[in-house]
Amino acid sequence: MSLKLSEAVVRRGAFRLTADFEIPADGISVVFGPSGAGKSMLLAMIAGLHKLETGRVEFNGAVLEDAGAKTRVGAHARGIGLVFQDARLFPHRTVRGNLQYAERRRPAARNAPIVVDIARRLEIEPLLDRPVRNLSGGERSRVALARAIVSAPEMLLLDEPFAALDGRRRRAFVTLMRDLSREQSLPMMIVTHQVEEAAELADHVVAVKAGRVIASGAAADAMQRPDFADLLDRRDIGARVDTGAVAGGQGGGVWVRADSVLLAAEEPRGISARNVWRGSVVAIDREVDGAVLVSLDTDAGYIRSRITPEALSDLRLETGATAWAVVKSNAL
Amino acid sequence: MARDMVRAMLTPEEMQILATSLGVAGRAVLFSLPVAIAFAWALSRPKFPGKWIVDAVAHLPLVLPPVLVGYFLLLLFGVRGPVGSWLRETFGIQLAFTAEGAALATAVMAFPLMVRAIRLSFEATDRGLFEAAAVLRAGPWDRFWSMALPLAWPGVLAGAVTAFAAGLGEFGAVITFASNVEGQTQTLPLAIYSALQVPDGDATAMRLAAISMTAAVTGLVLAELLQQWARRRLEA
Repeated sequence: MSLKLSEAVVRRGAFRLTADFEIPADGISVVFGPSGAGKSMLLAMIAGLHKLETGRVEFNGAVLEDAGAKTRVGAHARGIGLVFQDARLFPHRTVRGNLQYAERRRPAARNAPIVVDIARRLEIEPLLDRPVRNLSGGERSRVALARAIVSAPEMLLLDEPFAALDGRRRRAFVTLMRDLSREQSLPMMIVTHQVEEAAELADHVVAVKAGRVIASGAAADAMQRPDFADLLDRRDIGARVDTGAVAGGQGGGVWVRADSVLLAAEEPRGISARNVWRGSVVAIDREVDGAVLVSLDTDAGYIRSRITPEALSDLRLETGATAWAVVKSNAL
Repeated sequence: MARDMVRAMLTPEEMQILATSLGVAGRAVLFSLPVAIAFAWALSRPKFPGKWIVDAVAHLPLVLPPVLVGYFLLLLFGVRGPVGSWLRETFGIQLAFTAEGAALATAVMAFPLMVRAIRLSFEATDRGLFEAAAVLRAGPWDRFWSMALPLAWPGVLAGAVTAFAAGLGEFGAVITFASNVEGQTQTLPLAIYSALQVPDGDATAMRLAAISMTAAVTGLVLAELLQQWARRRLEA
């Protein structure tokens, strides 16, 4: 069970996207990268909305498209769902009508999701008989997601599904996504440009930059690679830690910003911080503005901390030295 | 009731003429609408080979003199024309000089009006919605019936009503192809023309002109109202 793109290229005007990667079709894969990198285009390519110029797309062993062999399964026959960033609800139908559109076209299956159940789950039940034009942005996103789930795809692609949601709703939604993916055994591929979201959601990561997939793989590995750090703003630089290693955490991962990590040369005692990890220094990098980025290999995994040059000399840290990384739970 | 009111105001002859006009224009719209939708759909698609030919064919009646259109129809569908003689031998149908022929001539003349209105509607539809339908497993035909057509509904309706209103007034092509037979092919404009040919026909012509104006304006207003209603319904 996997999704495999081999030297797949699509072009739209002057923009060209090249993708060559394989990820398991289970759990949640996050497509991560800066705006304009080609993340949405990657989803359209997989869904079959953009024709390949060259290359091949395979899903669970079946060839969906092969530019060389001139084979191409249409978007409607791929069984791959897509939730667009702008929801794209059908204006001539009510909310219920939108969901029924998906329901009527899905293949008969024993455990297909039931419209009302999904509606209740996504808190759109009271909206069912409303026309779609009066919905708020957040409501539209939820209806679009419900519609896609009702269609019972074999994989669901989601383009920034959290963009229209406020902070509190957003966190609830992230949790909901993980739950839905598990309950419906529905592999998801979610586009985001927020690194915390990526760390929280991802089992697998596909990193996109300037029209090219630059890295892919298990979240724990892919998010640690140096080229992944290239995709981040300076303030987002950090490391992904398995939530299992964090005080009070369960499943998934969490992004620990380098700015929120303290370093100690000796084991700290009598401290309020709940997360203290022992590790050895594996790299010391000087940033352009003089700040120092120290990378530790700890029990919890890879950790980065940003400190001043003065702190570096005070602590006498060098590669191979032992140090403790300290993170407040509230910073996670 | 409306019918009784009309009957009280019009003479039996005028009733006959109005009925002929409505019948001719109605049939013209009914039969050409599916073809117009097909043409409009094709023309709203991105470039395809031969698109300019389809475009030219659809717009030809707009630029040709109506008499010429009638003449072409006569050559093609006339009793001795290739299509006309075949229709007559196979189905026993004669189009030239009949009410059906008047409807055909009217349909051809109103065709570009219909195609234009419907095409604009197709083109104004958000393509993204078709993509959204595709990823919900709707194939190309399904998308046409479930998305393109319902979303273009205002344009289709407006195109049909405008074509109907214009069809009531078609003159040149009808008189050439279907002639001016009282009670059969004599529509409003043909009757006005006839009235003007006889001395003291001014009063008759005036009354017919009033009927013609009323019908046309009613059609236009109706088209506008329908379109506004449909648009409100579809506003996203």
